[in-house]
Amino acid sequence: MYFKKNFNKSFNILLLRTLIIFVFILVSFFIIIPLLPLFLKSFSDNKNNFIGLENFINYIQNPSLTQSFINSLKVAITTTFFSVLIGFIYAYALTRTRLPLKKFFNTFSLFSLYIPPLAVAIGLIYIFGKQGLITQGFFGTIPGFDINLYGFNGIIIGEIFYCFPQALIILVSALNLSDQRLYEAAESLKASPLRKFLTITLPNIKYGLMNSFFICFILSFTDFGVPKVVGGNFNVLATDIYKQVVGQQNFAMGATISIYLLVPSILAFLIDKNFQKNEASLISGKSIPFKPRKNLIVDSIMFIFCSLILILVIGVFSSIVLASLIKIWPYDISLSLQNFRFSNVAGNGYEPYFNTVFMSIYTAIFGTIFVFFTAYLVEKFKPLKKIRMLIYFFSTLPIAIPGLVLGLSYILFFNKPSFSVPFLDFKIFNPFSLLYGTMGILVLANIIHFFTVCFISATTTLKQIDKEFEEVSESLKVPFYKTFLRITIPLSLPTILEIGSYYFVNSMITVSAIIFLYPAKIPVSSVSIVNMDDAGDTASAAAMSTLIVLTSLFVRLIYEFTSRNVSKKSSVWINPLET
Amino acid sequence: MIKKEGSFKYLEIKNISKNFGETFVLKNIHLDVFKGEFLCLLGPSGCGKTTLLRIISGLERQTNGDIVQDGLLISNSPTEKRDFGIVFQSYALFPNLNAKQNIAYGLENKKINKKEIEKRTNNLLRLVGLEKYSDQFPSQLSGGQQQRVALARAMALSPGLLLLDEPLSALDAQVRSKLRNEIKLIQKKLNLTTIMVTHDQTEALSMADRVVVMERGHIAQIGTPFELYKNPITPFVADFIGKMNLLKGKYDKKNCVFYYLNNRFLISQNTEYSFLENCLLGIRPEDIEIIKFRKNIEKEENILRVKIKEITYLGTIFRLTVVLESKLEENIFVDVISNQVISNNLRIGDFIDIKLKKEKIKLFESNL
Repeated sequence: MYFKKNFNKSFNILLLRTLIIFVFILVSFFIIIPLLPLFLKSFSDNKNNFIGLENFINYIQNPSLTQSFINSLKVAITTTFFSVLIGFIYAYALTRTRLPLKKFFNTFSLFSLYIPPLAVAIGLIYIFGKQGLITQGFFGTIPGFDINLYGFNGIIIGEIFYCFPQALIILVSALNLSDQRLYEAAESLKASPLRKFLTITLPNIKYGLMNSFFICFILSFTDFGVPKVVGGNFNVLATDIYKQVVGQQNFAMGATISIYLLVPSILAFLIDKNFQKNEASLISGKSIPFKPRKNLIVDSIMFIFCSLILILVIGVFSSIVLASLIKIWPYDISLSLQNFRFSNVAGNGYEPYFNTVFMSIYTAIFGTIFVFFTAYLVEKFKPLKKIRMLIYFFSTLPIAIPGLVLGLSYILFFNKPSFSVPFLDFKIFNPFSLLYGTMGILVLANIIHFFTVCFISATTTLKQIDKEFEEVSESLKVPFYKTFLRITIPLSLPTILEIGSYYFVNSMITVSAIIFLYPAKIPVSSVSIVNMDDAGDTASAAAMSTLIVLTSLFVRLIYEFTSRNVSKKSSVWINPLET
Repeated sequence: MIKKEGSFKYLEIKNISKNFGETFVLKNIHLDVFKGEFLCLLGPSGCGKTTLLRIISGLERQTNGDIVQDGLLISNSPTEKRDFGIVFQSYALFPNLNAKQNIAYGLENKKINKKEIEKRTNNLLRLVGLEKYSDQFPSQLSGGQQQRVALARAMALSPGLLLLDEPLSALDAQVRSKLRNEIKLIQKKLNLTTIMVTHDQTEALSMADRVVVMERGHIAQIGTPFELYKNPITPFVADFIGKMNLLKGKYDKKNCVFYYLNNRFLISQNTEYSFLENCLLGIRPEDIEIIKFRKNIEKEENILRVKIKEITYLGTIFRLTVVLESKLEENIFVDVISNQVISNNLRIGDFIDIKLKKEKIKLFESNL
């Protein structure tokens, strides 16, 4: 017989299993389980009696409510079409042409990512509203032009502003993956430009294209900020939920409409996921990136197109800043900082602003740690495959959960001090209820609301790190957590910073996830923009928007600076010295 | 030199199988590795050689079977409790650590004092000849240097077993042959039991004490490089180690005659072939002789009249591709020293007579 050598499972594997199960419990409780009370609520009346499908039937029979559903779909489809179209042309100009001033266009195209949709809508009011610059012809100097901002038109313009950069990011990275040799081969076979476009370019970006359709659809279908400010009488689902919950305290109807908002989003999500499943990279690691040739006509058309888009983006931003600085638009256009006092309106002064900044800092710190660690456990290890696959699925889901739905489900879940077990007279204490009414729940809602994008970007980075590092460490008897700290984190630092800055910026501008959740003693700035705008104090709303945008840009600058230093430091690992 | 009976079995692989559902990756592998031996697992891609290596390391788990290392049953031990060092095809050097830090990575985790770590790291750097490069990051090193760092790192904890997974395949030809010798020298110097996976037969033949030829999840043959070349037991091994012409025909056991189309070949009576009459005749290209200018060929045995289809220059020899007039699609390869081709002025289209040396002919069971 042989001596048995340490038959026991090692401590490391045990630790790993525990961590995976722990993360699984966390993502279940933060993502999936809170949706259950929402579903239950949609089948109950406001006194918590089970009433079956009555809410849904009431909804369908109410013509003004069903109209909202149709309106939301109209908005989503129109926005998606234009956002992807504009995003595609812009992305094509950046990647496949010799566009002049490419760097400039590249940097400023993403400018609108830092403007909250609410602020975009406010900016639009100052340009196209009743007293807007264009509507009044620059204070009467030229003939005015009214686009009927309030309603469908305003929503569409605002949503395109909001969605276009999202489509752009996806399409730029899809178009960047190209192989010069394919185009050279096609040329040698005498393919026309149109044929090359249809047979090489389009097939290569179809997954990116599909993904950008999906993202734009969900964002515009569920957005609350733009319709709230410029929607006028054009009701959409998101504003309906808000009215039911905040205006009438009708949580049951709010929950029911949430389901109507959630289902199309989840459907779009599943279609996209099913489509992406077939993705296989057509571009190999050895491919030679596409080098666009000079083409005076195409390059000039692209230059004009991109300039127009940028002028609009910068125009909207300037009008927000201008509106915040002008005393009483349009009657007294002298400049002053009085709108930045915030004393006359909601009366909270700078408190909401600082609350938001702290909330965003916490979200950035805890969100980044949580998301990166989750991705690391899912991506790098072998044990508990099914559980890791579930964690992966749950982590990709939040992108399909509209902010308002997430917020509503969080209220319903986190304000319960205990759960009663069905059929048993038994109650379990809900430890998460301790978060209710604290900054913690806002941070958590933000972490989950923006989880998917961060998770995917962490996963992508971790995939690029040689999986054999873990195996080498094992063979060298070094426990995985040491390798995580010493190798994985330093190598992922650029992505970690990127995730942190993404979390910060989005927490600064978001309104939908936290509008139901924020405790009265912790006012936040994006909600106060809604309230100031409701109260007719648009200038103060513009001032708050300006603060948010400037803060986000400032943090982004810090990020750019830090990440440049990091990449300078790490360039010695990545780029071989030229000899 | 070759360790057989009486040598100390360092690693025993007993009846190892690995399958994913219905598909078998490895089927009933038995293998003994002797102390200080250099063993190569050789085979085409998908033959299961890398999986076997990973099962030995514990990075992958077998479906069935046992592994015994140095008298200890390690079949279910986790990787970190096993005693081995590994070099991957990609080297997997930590890009943010320099050469020295990479080598010291495993040592630093042990409770050894800094001086000792420093000393051992420097020794390893000297062993692989990289003293001057200790502060360089992997991206600043050449492929060959990176390979040596990986080797030094794998040996840092003085493992009893060294595993090499295609360690040279990412390098260019010149560096490769230089490193072959270096690895072999270090291995012999330390008397380190080593298992290397490769798909390159030249590499296996030039480095290994014994070669394990694998085919579709099982072991086709085990032997020293010379044994495998001389006495392949299957047509697969015969054609994988070197080159072998394989002609399908019928074997008349009683008279020791092999019939190929309407040709008959006499087979050496020293070997007894026990299988059915349908079988393959195997002969290496260098065991075929050209007898174009000899007289009285009628009296000679095992002659074929063939037409030259192609002449390929391979350095010191030419390889002729020849065909029978009655079977144009079946190529027969003949190796001829260069002078003979030049002096006889052989050209494509010429008819020549070739002779299959009787004592060099092998018969194989036909698997069709």
